[in-house]
Amino acid sequence: MSSVGRGRILPRVLTYLGAAIVIVVMGFPLYGIVLISIQEETDIRSRDVQFVPTYVEIENYQAVLAADGAVPVREGMVNSLVVSLAATFTAVAIALPASYGLTRLRPPGSRFILGALGSVYVFPTLLFVVPIFVVWAQIGLFDTYLGLIIPYVAFLLPFLIWSFGGFLRSVPLEVEEAARVDGASLFQLLTKIVIPMLRPGIFAALLLGFILSWVEFLTPLLFTSELTLLTVALGLFRSTIDIKIGQLAAAAVVTALPVIVLTVVFQSQIAHAIAPDTNT
Amino acid sequence: MRWSARRAGDSTRRKEARSGLYLAAPAVLVVAAVYVIPAVATLTLSVTKFKLAPLGIEGFVGLRHYIDAMTSAAFWSVTLRTLYIGVMMIVLTFVISFPIALLLNRSFRGRTFVMVIVLLPWAVPPVVSGVLWGQMFQAEFGFVNGLLRLFGGSGDILWLGRPFLAIHVVLIAEVWRWIPFATLFLLAGLKTIPVSLREAAEVDGAGLWTIFRHVTLPMMSPVIVPVVVFLFVVSMKVFDTIFVLTRGGPSGKTTTLNYRVFQEAFVLFDFSSASATAYLLSAFTIITIGGLRMVRHRASQVSIRERQ
Repeated sequence: MSSVGRGRILPRVLTYLGAAIVIVVMGFPLYGIVLISIQEETDIRSRDVQFVPTYVEIENYQAVLAADGAVPVREGMVNSLVVSLAATFTAVAIALPASYGLTRLRPPGSRFILGALGSVYVFPTLLFVVPIFVVWAQIGLFDTYLGLIIPYVAFLLPFLIWSFGGFLRSVPLEVEEAARVDGASLFQLLTKIVIPMLRPGIFAALLLGFILSWVEFLTPLLFTSELTLLTVALGLFRSTIDIKIGQLAAAAVVTALPVIVLTVVFQSQIAHAIAPDTNT
Repeated sequence: MRWSARRAGDSTRRKEARSGLYLAAPAVLVVAAVYVIPAVATLTLSVTKFKLAPLGIEGFVGLRHYIDAMTSAAFWSVTLRTLYIGVMMIVLTFVISFPIALLLNRSFRGRTFVMVIVLLPWAVPPVVSGVLWGQMFQAEFGFVNGLLRLFGGSGDILWLGRPFLAIHVVLIAEVWRWIPFATLFLLAGLKTIPVSLREAAEVDGAGLWTIFRHVTLPMMSPVIVPVVVFLFVVSMKVFDTIFVLTRGGPSGKTTTLNYRVFQEAFVLFDFSSASATAYLLSAFTIITIGGLRMVRHRASQVSIRERQ
């Protein structure tokens, strides 16, 4: 944009040099874990560290994905999928009307409510966990899907309401006003006008909600017990003892893969939902 | 026209506004049930004597748990360490994210690829990133020591075995994880700076550094402060990385306040102490954010005065 003129070769060289450094520094840890996952255990544990693959060994992946693997990746994947999908769809369904109600209709106290919702992120999660832990144990929600989904939904809500608010502000008011003049009810307004207009925002919210739920670690750590209900992020950890490093690396790659694929495919939507105006 | 319509239907307007509260009610209820009520319960735990079996509260003890927490041997060193992590995380994340944002603000071939690489750490589950950095800094066959050997070093550094090094490995892992967020926000801020402003400065013969210092930075301050606050808040809540990489060790030297809360609650099952520590941590966080806001207020006033 700024400098593609002839006498300006230096900035371009610097740009590509910078890009190369960024790729190496940010990408190397991920490259490293993939590299480990395709090596044999003896090579991984050698002091002669390899930086470039000389062969591809898929045994680690086979072992990890086997039904009785040392890392319960399969069960973890299924559990994570169930919990993440349920939590995300529920949270979006609750957050969308809430965001519309608070940022568009502006009832008295809406600013306070928005502020209060956002402020829950300031406090350490463990502040809320102990009482929930005790109550869950008493009413039998410990170690159940529902016992995980409820905290996930609550965790996603403030973020989603804020995110929808950003999308709502970018949608012009005129269409809604016109529908209102025509006598549309609030329900009709939401289902016929707002939801269709917010489609990109809803998609981004589903995406982000799913990713945030998928990577969650503390909640399943505390609200589930050994192996009966295991999400992937946790399964990976609970099996770190007495395991081959190659398999651990393979499990790490498999765990991260779904969200990495989503990020690569939908990077511009994600960037836009996290920081509006990025325009990637 | 819109205004007149608004005036005309003032009472229906108000009724409609109130229906906004009904729309928000489910969300508010869920958040209240999972966050607000437990927070109040935790506050109760922190000022009472609590027994696990049979479950119950044995009596009011006032601020005893708070005083015990603050006078216990390791408390202040843990607090200082937590604040050190907070400050370092803000500084390091900025020092790395700002140049990346400046880079991504240019158009060049392969920009999308760089963008994806920068975004990726965010999509990596923290546990995976823990495993990842654990392997990077593994003493015997880790990549970092391997690299040191490649360049002629002995490459036998026990990264996670020495307190000073271990805390910085935790920091590196956390900074790597939050760079995507910081970069995206800074990039969004850069996009708001009109190109004409830069060009005008260039025409006036301003160098790159002068433009950065007197055009880019001041224009970015509305973005910088929220990012600082955000990074500080997440740094106070670091948990997964410590849990996977060091478990607070060696000999408790990578324990932060948040990790201490976890240990008190779920290792020692001393819920009262854990609650008191959790509230002390919250208090530190809120006081610091308040301080940051004051600094921001001052800074904006100073810059207004300068401009006048």
